Amino acid sequence: MKKVLIGGIGNILLGDDGVGPYIARLLTAFYEFDENVEVVDLGTPALDLIDQISGKDAVILIDSIKADAPAGTVLLCGKADICRNSPCVRMDPHSPALVETLLAADMFSVAPRELLLVGIVGESYDSGCELSDAVRASTPHAITEILSELHRLSIPYWGRENPAEAGIWWTAVKEHPPALACRH
Amino acid sequence: MAKRITIDPITRIEGHLRIDVEVDNNSVSNAWASCTMWRGIEKILRGRDPRDAWLFTQRFCGVCTTVHAMASVRAVEDALKLEVPLNAQYIRNLILIAHALHDHIVHFYQLSALDWVDILQIPKADPDRTAKLAESLSPWTRNSRNEFKAAQDKVNAVAGSGQLGIFMNGYWGHPAMRLSPDVNLLAFTHYVQALEYQRKALQVVGMLGSKTPHIQNLTVGGVANAIDLDSGNALGMDRLEQIRVLLDEVVRFIHEVYFVDVCAVAAMYPDWFKIGSGVRNYLAVPDLPLDSRGSAYDLPGGYIMNGNIGGTHAFQTASDKEFRESVSEDVTHAYYRDGGKSLHPWVGETEPAFTGWDGEQKYSWVKAPRFKGEPMQVGPLAQVLVGYAQGHPLTRKYADLALSKVSALSGVHASPELLHSTLGRHAARAIRAAMLAELAQKHWQLLVDNISKGDFTVHNPPEFPWHEVEGVGTHEAPRGTLSHWIVIKSEKIKNYQAVVPSTWNASPRDRAGAHGPYEASLLRTPLARPEEPLEVLRTVHSFDPCMACACHTFDPSGRQIEKVRVL
Repeated sequence: MKKVLIGGIGNILLGDDGVGPYIARLLTAFYEFDENVEVVDLGTPALDLIDQISGKDAVILIDSIKADAPAGTVLLCGKADICRNSPCVRMDPHSPALVETLLAADMFSVAPRELLLVGIVGESYDSGCELSDAVRASTPHAITEILSELHRLSIPYWGRENPAEAGIWWTAVKEHPPALACRH
Repeated sequence: MAKRITIDPITRIEGHLRIDVEVDNNSVSNAWASCTMWRGIEKILRGRDPRDAWLFTQRFCGVCTTVHAMASVRAVEDALKLEVPLNAQYIRNLILIAHALHDHIVHFYQLSALDWVDILQIPKADPDRTAKLAESLSPWTRNSRNEFKAAQDKVNAVAGSGQLGIFMNGYWGHPAMRLSPDVNLLAFTHYVQALEYQRKALQVVGMLGSKTPHIQNLTVGGVANAIDLDSGNALGMDRLEQIRVLLDEVVRFIHEVYFVDVCAVAAMYPDWFKIGSGVRNYLAVPDLPLDSRGSAYDLPGGYIMNGNIGGTHAFQTASDKEFRESVSEDVTHAYYRDGGKSLHPWVGETEPAFTGWDGEQKYSWVKAPRFKGEPMQVGPLAQVLVGYAQGHPLTRKYADLALSKVSALSGVHASPELLHSTLGRHAARAIRAAMLAELAQKHWQLLVDNISKGDFTVHNPPEFPWHEVEGVGTHEAPRGTLSHWIVIKSEKIKNYQAVVPSTWNASPRDRAGAHGPYEASLLRTPLARPEEPLEVLRTVHSFDPCMACACHTFDPSGRQIEKVRVL
């Protein structure tokens, strides 16, 4: 069975940067997966990300993204798109390090065969625990992209009849976007 | 005429640490350390339930999650004068030790070894000779010819492909790189192995904390681990035994590989014991409490002023009165509204007033914390010097061992005075790791012995008064003294300030014009090629900077990364 990681990346204290952890928790609330699929709120893991992705067959990362597009736009990036950035001189060795992580995983031969970054264009990264309206509204779309990737990889998932508590403890806004239709 | 060099890693995110140096005759004549990003996330905590504060603070930084969680519960416990049961102290201590071992291994190998190790020399190494050299240094069983050959093959493959991948931006072939090809191969092989052992240390954090990267077992007044010796789910003998096995492997790696490598590399760069000293005021807090009240500790704390090791002052507790009363923050050169005087963290303010980089005026988002009005260096070096000065037996044991190894390998006498330096910071981190490795096994045994006595208590419930109370929670974290300062009123947080290790070390100048530790440590550093300031990176990296990995927005456009700008 393929080992899969779905990881939400970002800082829940900095506005739209928290969209990755937010979506990871929505996913586990609304869907069930086989035990070979791990859905994790990764926070801002820096180089520790290597441990999370190593040995996985497929990795789907969810992260806020900067792009010349309106807030809430969902963009998909493959490994080549991500690695087009060269790693920089690290003054602060703990900076978030997606490119470094992937290159290191390559060198240690632990890189996943499949990698997809589901990026959501953010609006505000000011300190605060709430998402902007545009980004919150885009979360069902991002989830659809994640599910289609699972479908493409032939990884099964099931919609829960009664969604579980999402456990998004940091937000004051308790209404989450409506659940998506279940697809197989 | 002095040249100005800016090293500003404008990465995919909004930048972190920026260093500006003025260079005169290939020597640094002035320096500025600045943080280019504002966080101000302490404000989020105001008005919240103090019981939940640790959940938020562990999101300050993605690498130091555990340390901010721990300092936060300790701050609330200090405000409430709440004792923590023995089991909870030992479980917390084991988590802190395992996290620190993971962090120190990663810092040396993954994050700073390549400042000293030249990857592109490795194809010239001879794995047989490297194996002989390694055997002469350590009993480590994985110092075999096959391991060295496999690591060399990895480098050959990367170098031969023309795509350096992860090694794209090193200063390879720089005149300040001086290890032989064999030593480069030895260190790189351990760089590969280190990845496995740091992971084992992190597994211990996960097993005790129920999860990584964000532990879930803390609670104000103790921990939430259920102890049941016969259960497979709760913390029982099975789980404890798995933890012991993992710890033993990590301990062996620290003692037989990391500690030895640092001594060996140090012996080959002896001039770096004379570079990078800077601020010689040192501050450390006691940690790893041995009783529920927090009156005895396995790591000593205190302070040293002006490098006077003979005149050290000890802190009796982790929230020592002298410490509580002596910390203040100055914002003369930081982008905050300045009321004209330094403020104690309990009445601290964080009102942004951005004006752009101006070396004469304001130039950083980092405040300037001061102790008795003075800049202080924090981190493993501070802790080792404070312990050494107090005659702490465990500190003396490993510090003396490191110094004697360096002396034997380099042929020059290495005295404790040499530790005031760039290499001293690396050596001190290895010394601290060796101490913590021994303490990991000790605290595992303390926990098992206490449980075996029939004590299963893990939590004392907190009671919150309605009147205002203040507390400070400290932790001697991998990067040094961390303190969280809380004011609680009517069960709500009234004020919260975190004074983090990298704020002490990366601090800008203060009202009196005194440099912060990074800045001071760079003065008079010789640069072989100012346009490739490897020497600046060596010293800055030796502090293990962490400027809050606060934001993780990814920029796929690959906006031009400006590495070094020479004006």
